[in-house]
Amino acid sequence: MKTIDSLRRSGIGIEPQRSIAEAARVMEHTGVGCLAVVDGEHVVGIVTDRDLVRRGLARGLPPDARVDGAMSAPVVTIDADTDVHSAYGVFRTHAVRRLAVVRDGRFVGILSIDDLLVDLAADFSDLTRPVAGEVIFAHHDATVVAER
Amino acid sequence: MRANVGDRIVIRSHHIGELQRECLVAEVHGTDGAPPYVVQWKDGEHETLFFPGPDAEVVRTGQPVH
Repeated sequence: MKTIDSLRRSGIGIEPQRSIAEAARVMEHTGVGCLAVVDGEHVVGIVTDRDLVRRGLARGLPPDARVDGAMSAPVVTIDADTDVHSAYGVFRTHAVRRLAVVRDGRFVGILSIDDLLVDLAADFSDLTRPVAGEVIFAHHDATVVAER
Repeated sequence: MRANVGDRIVIRSHHIGELQRECLVAEVHGTDGAPPYVVQWKDGEHETLFFPGPDAEVVRTGQPVH
């Protein structure tokens, strides 16, 4: 499965010169906790609600401070058409919770660890269903008929 | 996904009890209606870049992009 097929949400982006107050309002209004910071066609950072608290509020940044002053950068990227299992290694190597998904260098979305966990949980459920069935219900062994 | 300026995009909810969200396509930055889009959120106050995912659906109300 391609990485892009594991995305569950649309990506929402803002320009680096927008303020942290605008970023917070966009998060509130769109119901997301993470925005891509996009300059032209390229993602230059990711800002989360946690970033706004830790790098904005906690450090006393004014509401009109630029959002690129609170974002996480550089961004770890993965190609949209890469097999999604490659993403596991990227997450492990870089110890991040989100990857920017790009195609031809252009940002197309954000892959989060949560997205992969949901897929894994579904796969795990599929695998455990027949085993659970065997545990709950008795085996029905075939009757052996002896030939004479 | 293909959209025109003026189309609405509906984003389905991800959680029980969460309302679906809507935005209006203000600019199309891809070719032939392809993303990304600049969208205005329903309150008319916020404008963002939008990169549609599987939770988004276009409701065609706009004019074709020339």
